[in-house]
Amino acid sequence: MTLVGELSLWVAILMAAWTTTVSWAGGYQRRSDLVFSGERAMYATFAFTMVASIGLWYALFTHDFSLRFVSSYTSRNLPSVYTFSAFWAGQAGSMLFWTLILSGYGALAVLFNRKRLREMMPWVTGTMGLITLFFLLATAFAANPFERLDWVPADGRGLNPQLQNPGMAIHPPMLYFGYVATAVPFAFAIGALITRQLDGEWLAAVRRWSLLSWFFLTIGIVLGMWWAYVELGWSGYWAWDPVENSSLLPWLTGTAFLHSIMIQEKRGMLRKWNVTLVVLTFLLSILGTFITRSGVIESVHAFAQSEVGWWFLGFLIAATILTAMLVSTRLKDMEAKAELESMVSREAAFLYNNLVLVGIAFATLWGTLFPILSEWVQDEKITVGMPFFNSVNTPLGLLLLALTGIGPLIAWRRASTANLKRQFLMPVVMGFVAVAVLMALGMRHFYALVFYGISGFVATTITQEFVKGIGARRRMYQEGLAMASVRLVARNRRRYGGYVVHFGVVVMFAAFAGQFFKKDYAQVELKEGDTYAAVDPWGHTWNFRSEGLSRYNTVNRNVTAISLVVDRDGEPMPPMVAERRQHFDASQNATFEPSTEVAILEMAGQDVYVFFSGMLDADTAILTINFNPLVIWVWIGGIIMAFGGVIVMWPQAERRERGYAAEMAPQHEEVLVGA
Amino acid sequence: MFPSPNAVSRRSFLRRGAAIVPALVMAPGVLQGQVSSTVNMEGNYYLPVRPPAKPNPVVQLDEEAVIALERTLACPCPCTLDIYTCRTTDVTCSNSPAIHGDVIRMVNGGYNADEILLELDKVYGQRIMASPAKSGFSLMVWFMPFAALATGALAIALLVRTWRQNAVNATAARVDGGVGRIGVQATDDEMARLQAALRDDTR
Repeated sequence: MTLVGELSLWVAILMAAWTTTVSWAGGYQRRSDLVFSGERAMYATFAFTMVASIGLWYALFTHDFSLRFVSSYTSRNLPSVYTFSAFWAGQAGSMLFWTLILSGYGALAVLFNRKRLREMMPWVTGTMGLITLFFLLATAFAANPFERLDWVPADGRGLNPQLQNPGMAIHPPMLYFGYVATAVPFAFAIGALITRQLDGEWLAAVRRWSLLSWFFLTIGIVLGMWWAYVELGWSGYWAWDPVENSSLLPWLTGTAFLHSIMIQEKRGMLRKWNVTLVVLTFLLSILGTFITRSGVIESVHAFAQSEVGWWFLGFLIAATILTAMLVSTRLKDMEAKAELESMVSREAAFLYNNLVLVGIAFATLWGTLFPILSEWVQDEKITVGMPFFNSVNTPLGLLLLALTGIGPLIAWRRASTANLKRQFLMPVVMGFVAVAVLMALGMRHFYALVFYGISGFVATTITQEFVKGIGARRRMYQEGLAMASVRLVARNRRRYGGYVVHFGVVVMFAAFAGQFFKKDYAQVELKEGDTYAAVDPWGHTWNFRSEGLSRYNTVNRNVTAISLVVDRDGEPMPPMVAERRQHFDASQNATFEPSTEVAILEMAGQDVYVFFSGMLDADTAILTINFNPLVIWVWIGGIIMAFGGVIVMWPQAERRERGYAAEMAPQHEEVLVGA
Repeated sequence: MFPSPNAVSRRSFLRRGAAIVPALVMAPGVLQGQVSSTVNMEGNYYLPVRPPAKPNPVVQLDEEAVIALERTLACPCPCTLDIYTCRTTDVTCSNSPAIHGDVIRMVNGGYNADEILLELDKVYGQRIMASPAKSGFSLMVWFMPFAALATGALAIALLVRTWRQNAVNATAARVDGGVGRIGVQATDDEMARLQAALRDDTR
């Protein structure tokens, strides 16, 4: 089966080459036989890539250590779930996994559009085929998971202990699903540019795929944050690491696109900008891949330095130049007689939103690449760490959060002063009320107050929109509260799903502000029976009493665990157990450095975070105990955002949508224009 | 016939040709230095910083001040954390505990925070600082994001001005069309005055 998989990889290369060649030839010569052949070849590319992937999974599960990849990332005693996820744990396997998703997306794009966009689709299929071909070639020649060793080891090296975590089993696929999905809008953009069809169905197709990419990137990024938090032990979830930044960049530009596309749909404006954002999002995902896989920028999350990085650099440069050339020949086709009646309008708000999103993306990219630039220019690498990113992106993030609330309050075309007063009154008041209440409770941190003030403003905006919409439905259809709420969202998923996403963003920002109250706690040394007392940021006194150390073996590791009996102001809390682990192979030989497992007590107000730093002697553990305010709300915010994304993406029957648009039109105008 | 031990295999040749040549042609030398300087994650990045203790040293920094100082220092390993966070949480990193040792040695030797930073800078250069300096070449890292944002804002302002003018012209054109259809007789001068009045109104 492994051999079949290996051979399939090579056949997939031929299929992808065929896909590109005949699709483009078919598009150019307008020959439907070639076009159909190209589409079938796209399906075949996916099928053969799938067989290659099954071959690799087979090798992983049968412990075929003659493969360098299998012996490097698995061992006989690795639990099955991690043997499965080892597929994407290393450079070569993850390249194949990426290609599998890419070819799958290509096949789905062809399948969904087999009766639509007939003039454009050959170019889309050809472009998807070309990108897939690049990935297949890079996999086969630079990072081949089927590469064999000269000898067969008795056991493999095993999987890095930090990757033996449920978050790591899910997080990379989610990110890959998101990253790779950016290729589809890019392919559609190329097709639209070549055929000069940049409106109508193209917009719908690109929007759908961009949403899918955004959805998976959101989940992937939040899962990555969660993994870093529970696994790395530094009690934070975002370090502005180059690899983290790489995942954020396409998310930011993709989010900008999902907002600016609305202006093109409603007003036919911003065509050039939208195409630029689609292309930029794809190129940033390739740049991120280059950063992650080349070893050019050091990161704890990066794959080892590899030749594959050069492939991505070459591809990135070629794609940038060719796309820029193509766009430059189509500038006239993208010109629109744009009109904007007022700076205070929904259209203008989207422009400001795009400016800030792209501004954050630029600042993040700039900070990520600056160490390379500084080394190149003055032969000295300058570290650009968290302080820079926090200083620059925090004010921009706050501005973005404010725009999240302002945008929905302003009417399309032009907002009257009376309308603005009516719409803004309650949210602004509630924002100030939030600040006043927090100040009365003793909060004095300037940034935190700004965070919560703006959060209050945006949350009220969203609530106000729901209240108005539900009220209108209840008046018009005499529906109950629950029915009106459900139908309001169900019949205008895009708008109200978007508000749910915005609410998730508010929750996340409110949680981020919790970091302002975090304190540094010194390391403590505890023997059995010792107690450490600490006061948390909310003023509660916590006692941690050591129950001593226990040592035992399990599955593939030796564990040293410390149990803590915990109470808060004398009230017993659940016990906490932090671990240090030493993994071993089937012959009981130690593998990898010792790793740790953090003990976390999650509560609404804060997490109690206990990290087992080390041992002073055989009986004394060194612990780092932290109180991390509001962290659980980061994950809840992420879940709300993903839920909102599902609402927005959920297909809506066209007939129903049209009917609803007609029946809601007067009310809709009322809400927007404030008549 | 056996291949010579130095022969390049076909696969290797293709691999290098397909990837490296275009990259080298298109980005000459930009990244060569960086790649060669990359060290694997388990590498040792520590460089000893051990200036002599001052005569009759007086300790000027307490534990909190040391933590605050270490918060401003970047661990040279790829963890992207500061020295304090890294040494207290990354059990595999040997660099941050060693640098912490040097810091404590300097503190006990009578050095204050600025002097410690200076000593570290002499050995590691600017990369030891978690945050770039706000002077010299490093100033650019702080300046550029806001410059880019200002440029973007300016571009939007110019665009919006054009679009607003388009809107005004379009309104005027619609009025022109309407006037023509209902057959109102007006001189060119009267039409110009009407359009000017409308423009003022729409502003």
